[in-house]
Amino acid sequence: MLEVESKKNILVTGATSGIGKGLVISLLQDPENIVYGIGRDEEKISGLLDKQNFKFIAYDLTDINSIENMFRDKFENVKFDGFVHCAGMEETIPITLYSPEKVLQIFQINVFSAIELLRLLSKKKYSENNASFVLLSSVMGELGQAGKVGYCASKAALLGVVKSLALELAKREIRVNAVSPGIVNTPLTSQLFQQLDAKNVDRIKDMHPMGIGKVDDVADLLCFLLSEKARWITGQNLKIDGGYSVQ
Amino acid sequence: MEKQEFLKNLQEVLEVEQTLTVETNLKDLDEWDSMTAMLLIGYVSDEFGVTLTGDNIGEISTVQSVIDFIGESKFS
Ligand SMILES: NC(=O)c1ccc[n+]([C@@H]2O[C@H](COP(=O)([O-])OP(=O)(O)OC[C@H]3O[C@@H](n4cnc5c(N)ncnc54)[C@H](OP(=O)(O)O)[C@@H]3O)[C@@H](O)[C@H]2O)c1
Repeated sequence: MLEVESKKNILVTGATSGIGKGLVISLLQDPENIVYGIGRDEEKISGLLDKQNFKFIAYDLTDINSIENMFRDKFENVKFDGFVHCAGMEETIPITLYSPEKVLQIFQINVFSAIELLRLLSKKKYSENNASFVLLSSVMGELGQAGKVGYCASKAALLGVVKSLALELAKREIRVNAVSPGIVNTPLTSQLFQQLDAKNVDRIKDMHPMGIGKVDDVADLLCFLLSEKARWITGQNLKIDGGYSVQ
Repeated sequence: MEKQEFLKNLQEVLEVEQTLTVETNLKDLDEWDSMTAMLLIGYVSDEFGVTLTGDNIGEISTVQSVIDFIGESKFS
């Protein structure tokens, strides 16, 4: 009898914190998933490192030119069924204080690293047909907020990547989608809230009709998009924000 | 940094008409609003590597109070 290959290789960036870490924990519950996590600070996930079906790669994704070498080194003979780009940074900088270097920095991690990873993952040697690729954008990819030129522009750029690549990869039935959360309770949000006074934090919370989100709310949607059940969804931007963006 | 230079830079970054002194109460300025606060946070972070929190901004009044948050030792 033919043995059916049912193991799934899934690559998650931003695996050391917030949404990416929550996703890794969810995925590891299924022993059929082999999860490859990329992050810089492995101490933040020390509890996961001994899991048999988890492999951690410490890598600074702003080193874009060496991502291909990293793939050669770490993923020889690995074909991915899923990829989720959770690595990202958020910042509040009024435009008069933005320098070209700062713009480049946020684009490098939020956008350019994603494109380079996708370039490699789009090759047959690194991906299965029917694979699912998901990029974390944000409600700020379509909306605006003062002081967020870099963040909004980088998250909007990802939406363009998703639409174009979905068409490019449709022949191989590889799906490419964006997930755009509202405010989710993660270290990134704590850092953002630190810059605001209590009144403004409450105001932001109040702008989410169903309150701010939990990591698992987003991880569940990501797991769905990675699964076969989402096989006819591609090129989309799925908003998950407790009603924030429909007001 | 010299305090005089700090005052000049701050005036330029915050784009305020009035000449700033250490006694100027930033919140009394016509220009003071949430964007000015954002500029102040950004400038202090770039120049001194000090992160002013939302609560700090709530407590700030004069330019001297900003200097106190940054740390007198960083000024000559
Ligand atoms: N939280 C929210 O409210 C929210 C809302 C909308 C969209 N999002 C988006 O969702 C994604 C995840 O957010 P989060 O809240 O989970 O953020 P987070 O807790 O701050 O985690 C960010 C992750 O990105 C990784 N990372 C950052 N720079 C990197 C670099 N140069 N190289 C490699 N890894 C790097 C970090 O790794 P290390 O810590 O190991 O360096 C960390 O694992 C982001 O793209 C964010 O923009 C979040």
